[in-house]
Amino acid sequence: MIGSPAATESAAGSHIHIAPEAVFEADKVGIFYGKKQALIDVNMRIRRGQVTALIGPSGCGKSTFLRCFNRMHDLQPDTRYEGSITLHPDNLNLIGAGVDPIEVRMRIGMVFQKPNPFPKSVFENVAYGLRLRGVRNRATLAEEVEKALRGAALWDEVKDRLQDSALALSGGQMQRLCIARALATTPEILLFDEPTSALDPIATAKIEELISTLRDQVTVLIVTHNMQQAARVSDYTAFMYLGELIEFDEAAKIFTNPAKKATEDYITGRYG
Amino acid sequence: MAETGTPERAAVLSDPMEGHTAKAFDGALTQLRLHTVGMGGLVIDQVSTAVRALLDADARLAQTVLSREQQVNDMERAVDREAFELIALHQPVAGDLRMATAVSRITVELERAGDESKKIARFAARMASGEPQGPVRAVARYLQHMAELTSGMLRDAVLALDDSNSDLADRVRARDSELDAEFAAALRQLLTLAMQDQRYLGVTIDTVFALKGLERIGDHAKNIAEQVVFVASGRDERHKKPQ
Repeated sequence: MIGSPAATESAAGSHIHIAPEAVFEADKVGIFYGKKQALIDVNMRIRRGQVTALIGPSGCGKSTFLRCFNRMHDLQPDTRYEGSITLHPDNLNLIGAGVDPIEVRMRIGMVFQKPNPFPKSVFENVAYGLRLRGVRNRATLAEEVEKALRGAALWDEVKDRLQDSALALSGGQMQRLCIARALATTPEILLFDEPTSALDPIATAKIEELISTLRDQVTVLIVTHNMQQAARVSDYTAFMYLGELIEFDEAAKIFTNPAKKATEDYITGRYG
Repeated sequence: MAETGTPERAAVLSDPMEGHTAKAFDGALTQLRLHTVGMGGLVIDQVSTAVRALLDADARLAQTVLSREQQVNDMERAVDREAFELIALHQPVAGDLRMATAVSRITVELERAGDESKKIARFAARMASGEPQGPVRAVARYLQHMAELTSGMLRDAVLALDDSNSDLADRVRARDSELDAEFAAALRQLLTLAMQDQRYLGVTIDTVFALKGLERIGDHAKNIAEQVVFVASGRDERHKKPQ
């Protein structure tokens, strides 16, 4: 049987000396597309400054859960949320009925499977979010753009071509530009939805290395089909199946000795 | 707050799903396990044959053990290589990873158990060529019993690996103290003999080494059992007293 609250916490506590505080707390999160329930009672604490990976087979609800954080489901009609995702310490429920999704999205960054830079210059891609937030001062913009590009490990590669079209960059560079664009607005969390599935191994390695270093700047939540990637980059890993969270623990525990047989079956390739 | 879904549905998810989707991985893991078990079988036979050679002062049996020593070494290298390649090519995780790493350690334990058998066989060969048999005769009962205990422990440790049976492995660990007690008793007997008659001091010392070798083989069996517990349950029982 799945662990009681106490058991879950003590299990984690046995190998975490100082558990980082939760910045997001999902409590019985559910989501309905019409009558179909795609997410069922998901409880999870996303720790500040940590990388949390969501793994599971297609249709398990991992992307659905990720997209709750920036209210992307609001774009689809007949969608209903249940439960809460509380942002600490503001005590803001991201999926609360009275909460403006635009306000939520202003505080959340997202990077998608396929790099999606705007058809603008490298500089303007990163400056875009800052301009939306009212930053007009050229020096400030230049400073923040450089900081974001450095944060995304892209500055050295593009510092001499800031005015070139972003679409002229390689796939990996475009993806790092999208990360820089998200970092520029100093989000509370950066969401990655299969960020390397369209990239070659070298570009993938650079993104993974970047994700590992990003934890100093921002909390990361990543959906990946690549279990080795989850093992490499995440501090915590959640295994989801049929819309439910089956197991959530430190990545080292999940990938060496998971508590649930369903988790073991999935990560060892015995699933289905 | 539990960071999980509902218990009822999770119970359904925990239904056994056997075999990997990648059948080549299944095959590689099965081969690794079978080759380790095969190496275990050879080492068990080395132990019992070496002790039989010693008790019977049988040069032919001693030579059998010595001639198979290279085979044990070759198997250690081959199985270790297989485990290494399995890790490199299939990137196992969880129970599969525990199996691959444990097998690497188990082959070392088996090879060392084989080395102990070789030393006993060399002593047996010297006995067969005319060395005095008094000290060995004096502790023959202990040698026989310790050989049965160590062979039994090795056999059950290897069976436990084959079945991923942590209960059987735990029982192997518990039997090590019995072997230690037998060794202590045999040692007392030999010491008494050495004090009464010092003509055979050299052979007495060799006999102590043979007994110690059997006691060490028991330790190797215990170490293998600890690895099996790790494979089957994820518990690390090294350097812990068995319950």
